[in-house]
Amino acid sequence: MSSTSSEGRDRIGAAPVGTATGSDRDLLHRYHDGGERDARERLVQRHMPLVRALARRYAGRGEPLEDIEQVGAIGLLKAIDRYDLERDVALTTYATPNIVGEIKRHFRDKGWAIRIPRGLQELNARMSRTIERLTSGLGRSPTIAEIGRELSVTPEQVLEALEAGSAYAPMSLSSSPSGDAELDPMEAVGKEDEAFERSEQRVTLEPALAALPSRDREILRKRFEDGLTQTQIAEEVGISQMHVSRLIRKSLERMRSELGQ
Amino acid sequence: MLGGVGDRFDLGFDELDDLQLAVERLLAEAGAQDELRIAVDLSEGCLTTRIGPLSKTTIVEALQGPESRPGDLNLRRVLETVVDAFAVEEVNRDGLYVTLDKRVHGIR
Repeated sequence: MSSTSSEGRDRIGAAPVGTATGSDRDLLHRYHDGGERDARERLVQRHMPLVRALARRYAGRGEPLEDIEQVGAIGLLKAIDRYDLERDVALTTYATPNIVGEIKRHFRDKGWAIRIPRGLQELNARMSRTIERLTSGLGRSPTIAEIGRELSVTPEQVLEALEAGSAYAPMSLSSSPSGDAELDPMEAVGKEDEAFERSEQRVTLEPALAALPSRDREILRKRFEDGLTQTQIAEEVGISQMHVSRLIRKSLERMRSELGQ
Repeated sequence: MLGGVGDRFDLGFDELDDLQLAVERLLAEAGAQDELRIAVDLSEGCLTTRIGPLSKTTIVEALQGPESRPGDLNLRRVLETVVDAFAVEEVNRDGLYVTLDKRVHGIR
């Protein structure tokens, strides 16, 4: 891991910076001096390829790549927010350690690769596919016992693996969302969602929704506005039911943090 | 704990997940609690989960305020989506209790 980091960082830092720095600085000025959040979002979109490239280094450790990318996006936002316009340094150069640091902190604090036994991770992954298959075959959501029988494990093991699957998500069952002072949920990744844009509540919810990737916003809308089930959403979006469940939890928690409740 | 209940009553994965999400969001909004009791009753295909005592009175405002409007995504809207009914009770000055009713189809 560390042997490839500096090489990758140089390569990533060098490529887009030379041509983009000028406009980066313009956007940074517009955001820092003029308070234009649109400029901030443009910076995020522009540098998401950097986040993705860095996130890929941490793939295969028990976390979906897209989750790591989202964590990396938080690091990018922090870098944008903290960027000192007095300093003559490219945004990408400044952002890279922020992004990597955020990802590492995520794995250290919440990553199941560290805390959750590999057997449970694997069972969780197998379960996800099994639930899809059983749901399709039975025409309804399978019970815990049915999942266990299909996988030749006990119901207790199924429940343990389910719990493990959500263990890395920042749930607030026992801790305040503000407990992590480093966490900045002010993410603005993704495009505007038209359905929520039309909503009367958008003035209140907009900042919180803007903190979510567009796909996650769409999932929330399908679940809580259109009333689709997780199974239906999974089919429409093309991800597993368990993944839908995790994304909903994570999105709601982020929105709550954003709204400062 | 709810997972065990779900298994005992043969809840579908989605039903169990809905119930867990309701409880998680409720507790997240309620904040830290010194002590918490969760009771689950089953009657005629309806699982009633009672949670409390909750000290945060904002829960009452959140759950007893005006009905959710399109676009709302607050605790009330979440509960409206994932359970069939909910209510706030005050029991012997002990604190606030919230009941969540979920009709389940998995019960044989």
